[in-house]
Amino acid sequence: MLSVKGLKATVDDKEILKGLDLEVGAGEVHAIMGPNGSGKSTLAHVLSGREGYTVTAGSVTFEGRDLLELDPEERACLGLFLAFQYPVELPGVNNTYFLKAALNAKRRYHGEEELDAVSFLRLMKEKLKVLHLDDSLLKRPVNVGFSGGEKKRNEIFQMALLEPKLAILDETDSGLDIDALRVVADGVNSLRSPERSMLVVTHYQRLLDYIEPDYVHVLARGRIIRSGGKELALELEQKGYGWILDEAAA
Amino acid sequence: MSATPQDLPGQPVAEQRSGASRKAAETEAEYGHLVKSEYEHGFVTEIESDTLPPGLDESVIATISRRKGEPQWMLDWRLAAYAKWLEMPTPQWAAVHYAPIDFQAISYFSAPKKKELKSLDEVDPVLLETYEKLGIPIEEQKALAGVAVDAVFDSVSVATTFREKLAEAGVIFCSISEAVQEYPELVQKYIGSVVPPTDNFYAGLNSAVFTDGTFVYVPKHTRCPMELSTYFRINEAKTGQFERTLIVADEGSYVSYLEGCTAPQRDENQLHAAVVELIAMDNAEIKYSTVQNWYPGDEEGRGGIYNFVTKRGDCRGANSKISWTQVETGSAITWKYPSCILRGDHSVGEFYSVAVTKGRQQADTGTKMIHLGKHTRSTIVSKGISAQHGIQSYRGLVRIAGKAEGARNHTQCDSLLIGDKCAANTFPYIEVKNPTAKMEHEATTSKISDDQLFYCRSRGLSEEDAVSMIVNGFCKEVFNELPMEFAVEAQKLLSISLEGAVG
Amino acid sequence: MSAQALESDRATNAVGGVPEAGPFDAWLPASAPATGEPGWLTAARTAATERVRTQGVPTGKSEGWRYTGLRALLEQGFTPVDEPLDAMLREDLDDLLVPGLDAHRVVVVNGSFAPHLSDLDDLPKGLRIGGLRATLAEDPDALADDLARIAGDGAHVFASLNTAGMGDGVVLLADRGALVEKPVELLHLSVGMDEPKVAQPRHVIRLGDGARVTLIERWASLGDALYCNNAVLEIGLGRDAVLAHRRVQLESPSAFHLSGVYLRQGAGSRYDGINVGLGGRWARTDLVVRFAGEHAECDLSGLYLAGDKQLIDYHLDVQHGLPRCTSRENFKGIVHGKGKAVFDGLVYVAKDAQQTDAAMSNRNLLLSQGAEVDTKPRLEIYADDVKCSHGTTVGQIEPEMLFYLRSRGIPEGLARRMLCLGFAGEIINALGNEALAGYVSEAVGGRLQAAPL
Repeated sequence: MLSVKGLKATVDDKEILKGLDLEVGAGEVHAIMGPNGSGKSTLAHVLSGREGYTVTAGSVTFEGRDLLELDPEERACLGLFLAFQYPVELPGVNNTYFLKAALNAKRRYHGEEELDAVSFLRLMKEKLKVLHLDDSLLKRPVNVGFSGGEKKRNEIFQMALLEPKLAILDETDSGLDIDALRVVADGVNSLRSPERSMLVVTHYQRLLDYIEPDYVHVLARGRIIRSGGKELALELEQKGYGWILDEAAA
Repeated sequence: MSATPQDLPGQPVAEQRSGASRKAAETEAEYGHLVKSEYEHGFVTEIESDTLPPGLDESVIATISRRKGEPQWMLDWRLAAYAKWLEMPTPQWAAVHYAPIDFQAISYFSAPKKKELKSLDEVDPVLLETYEKLGIPIEEQKALAGVAVDAVFDSVSVATTFREKLAEAGVIFCSISEAVQEYPELVQKYIGSVVPPTDNFYAGLNSAVFTDGTFVYVPKHTRCPMELSTYFRINEAKTGQFERTLIVADEGSYVSYLEGCTAPQRDENQLHAAVVELIAMDNAEIKYSTVQNWYPGDEEGRGGIYNFVTKRGDCRGANSKISWTQVETGSAITWKYPSCILRGDHSVGEFYSVAVTKGRQQADTGTKMIHLGKHTRSTIVSKGISAQHGIQSYRGLVRIAGKAEGARNHTQCDSLLIGDKCAANTFPYIEVKNPTAKMEHEATTSKISDDQLFYCRSRGLSEEDAVSMIVNGFCKEVFNELPMEFAVEAQKLLSISLEGAVG
Repeated sequence: MSAQALESDRATNAVGGVPEAGPFDAWLPASAPATGEPGWLTAARTAATERVRTQGVPTGKSEGWRYTGLRALLEQGFTPVDEPLDAMLREDLDDLLVPGLDAHRVVVVNGSFAPHLSDLDDLPKGLRIGGLRATLAEDPDALADDLARIAGDGAHVFASLNTAGMGDGVVLLADRGALVEKPVELLHLSVGMDEPKVAQPRHVIRLGDGARVTLIERWASLGDALYCNNAVLEIGLGRDAVLAHRRVQLESPSAFHLSGVYLRQGAGSRYDGINVGLGGRWARTDLVVRFAGEHAECDLSGLYLAGDKQLIDYHLDVQHGLPRCTSRENFKGIVHGKGKAVFDGLVYVAKDAQQTDAAMSNRNLLLSQGAEVDTKPRLEIYADDVKCSHGTTVGQIEPEMLFYLRSRGIPEGLARRMLCLGFAGEIINALGNEALAGYVSEAVGGRLQAAPL
């Protein structure tokens, strides 16, 4: 589904990703772990097409298409979804309106009929129920005045509605207390399916207690220096990142 | 027929009815484009016989007055205004730039200067595209674009029903010229009482030469049964350069007036110097909404309307309320400050504004809230959007007089800049003389953040849609104040205005 | 002052036709400048004299003087101070000093540098302080880049008057890299004369690259004399230089005070200025900031108390002409009696001055009937990638707060003073120097005590 080969990327002429390889198959959940400054968020942003990053080498294909040549909106329409570490506030923009515009943009892209207000609301109610969310979120402007937990839940709700093929969760656990974390993780788990892959980017192991990955990769100094199963995350939790960095350097 | 606000409601019902229905017929002539025959008869002959050559002097004013069959007092009033105007300097303080206007090169009495086009094929396709996007019916498109209208509108029946309804309520709604004839006491009592001819240069000019406009009188304890003027938007395309509007809401009454039109309007007149006066008596409320989309000139700034308007409301009575809402996307130069004089105790003034300047447009706009009465309250929400080479200034005055105990003002002025060649200025003047008054003013200037854009795009929205969504969000507070259908149109208009302005 | 305001100053004058023989003619120097004055300075004086004549007297229609009438000032018939006053003794200063303030002291009496009252013996290496007159005589080239250059010719008529008529003042030059630990105190002392006199001191403060100085500028008087000060400070900051500037205006209650601070900031420099305006019958201060390099930071804050029949006016003109500079403007005022406070703050962001970050705030407590606040926080923005904001409030002491204090047994008068001091505290605490903060706090407290709040 997603194939990253030899990816190098710079920010302000500083190389952050230094030849990164990653293969994600359909339905797989991969965790990307790593210390601060290792390039985790850069990877998430490069994949979703954020400006300010220059890809200097390597390739990224998503379902056989060259992802790097596409605008962010086209990537989204193809089924890529980034759950932001810091969801952005859009003052005055009603959440429901925003979601409807996003969903219909995707439907238009795929030549499908746009949803009218009634069917959209029905769909939204359905998704809310699945995620056990309160509909008060929908009446407010996008993320404005939301608590940290509400913002993250809103991200997961968008994900449920837009039904991506590949969801990238960028530090979704940051800023959440344990209860909020559980709610968000439950939401994510309910969206797991054989057709949907996920890339869970996180610093800490604790999120992986709730969202169990199939594979764990350690990202450091712009490269994946080790890959393994979920037991690797536990090992990192116990020993920290130091040993693995030393090993990689050795 | 003569009437003053005091005796109007007391008139025998029958007389009131007949007066009103006669009014209805005459008003149809005024808003004549609704009826083809009236239109031709009313306007076209006048063009032939009465278009005056350019230039302005006392004889021109006398001719205007005579042609309109005005009483002597009206002519005297015009001439006095003219004499004062001659001594007034043109205002220089606004942050707008334009070549001096030659006031002797304007013809002050002529039917609309539009050349009628034969069919829509002759109309600028860009204009038609916009009409299409706004969903304007084909016949209205023709009227707006200045194409001869050859079909009878359905609106005629609408208009008739509408007149009847207003007459039942006792609301007077007619042209100002007609009001001078039919309700001289009312006009004489109120005209110039809010915006005196000496107020400013353009108000002075308007007072001397106004030829068109609207008069509304809502009797005591009457809620005007409908939004005024929505059904007449076609008419707006033909309003003159020197419009004069006078709206009086008597005790305990309510009226909502809508001015303008979301469709871009073609007009050959460069200078528009209108005056709008609102008067709200005890417990009365006037809501005045404007969508202004006059021709802004081309991309290089050639052509375009100079929109120099004086709008002021007088909250004369206790507990009265005047609310201005404006969406300004047109005109080459806009110079207007819809204001409220909060004279009555507990009166309320509001100003909600969205202004867009792009291309070479310049706008110097804002409001004045003059707090004189006790416990008066005012709210100002101004959203300015500047793109391309647009220049936009908010200029506002909040004055709280020594006796305005417990007065409150809250002002929020936000500017959004799109591109690095535009400008956004904020010039608030705040004068507070009462120690129990509270005034808060906040202003921000920013651009659409890259984060916001990327967030929307990562959810599948195109850049243009994302910008439109964010800008509409930015203006939300103001759109919320517009009557529902106007709000929807205004949002569409805003999106269309910003097309091509981004990136 | 903005270009716009200037234009209206001129426009007003144009309407009146030929400028009348102005009331300021008496302020202009009668005789030719001192022999040996450098040509560039004479040229600047001549041009300034010309400007005074063409600009004429600002009126209420001049944008920069809309709320600040000049009639009272003109009625006094001020004439320039002619002779330096040498009769002052060091003991005379005792009551005017800030208790516990350890500083290098430079004293100016009626506009002239008074070496015998100053305390400049142990200046650290790299710091030179002297009189303007002496510096011009000995080493005029040292001032050629700054004097009459930083203020330029865009300033209003009083700055022009100062340029035309300046006699003496103080020159502070900190060499590149000089780190001056002890603050420098610049004390203006005004003594009333038989005739109403105007003093026009001119100061030049220049910090070389990386230099760091704290300057405490004070204005004080003997008794409640009537006089006028019309001062101009020109401040040039080199690359990465840091100047902390504290200005405490405690002129006599009959005095007229005009001061203009003109600032030119080099790249990466930081100016941290705090203005305290308590004194004078009529006081007008102009703070004018220009950036000469990127990444410079400018903080302008202030506290003013305008009491009965007192006018205090602060005009800020901060022009972001270059990208990536930051400015903060934060002024707080308390107005009581029949006092009047005027605040006019302009933040101007030129085209291409991207990533400018500016925030202006002006908050006022209006405490009595007859008091007045006129405030004009202005933004003029010609670049899009900027963060600019302003906020203004005029209000009173919150009744809930007052009630809370009273419910704890504190009498109303005291409670009000406490709350006012709390409001002022943000600025007073920012003064940094403990001795100075204590001194200002006491002065503010004393004023509030005396005021019928």
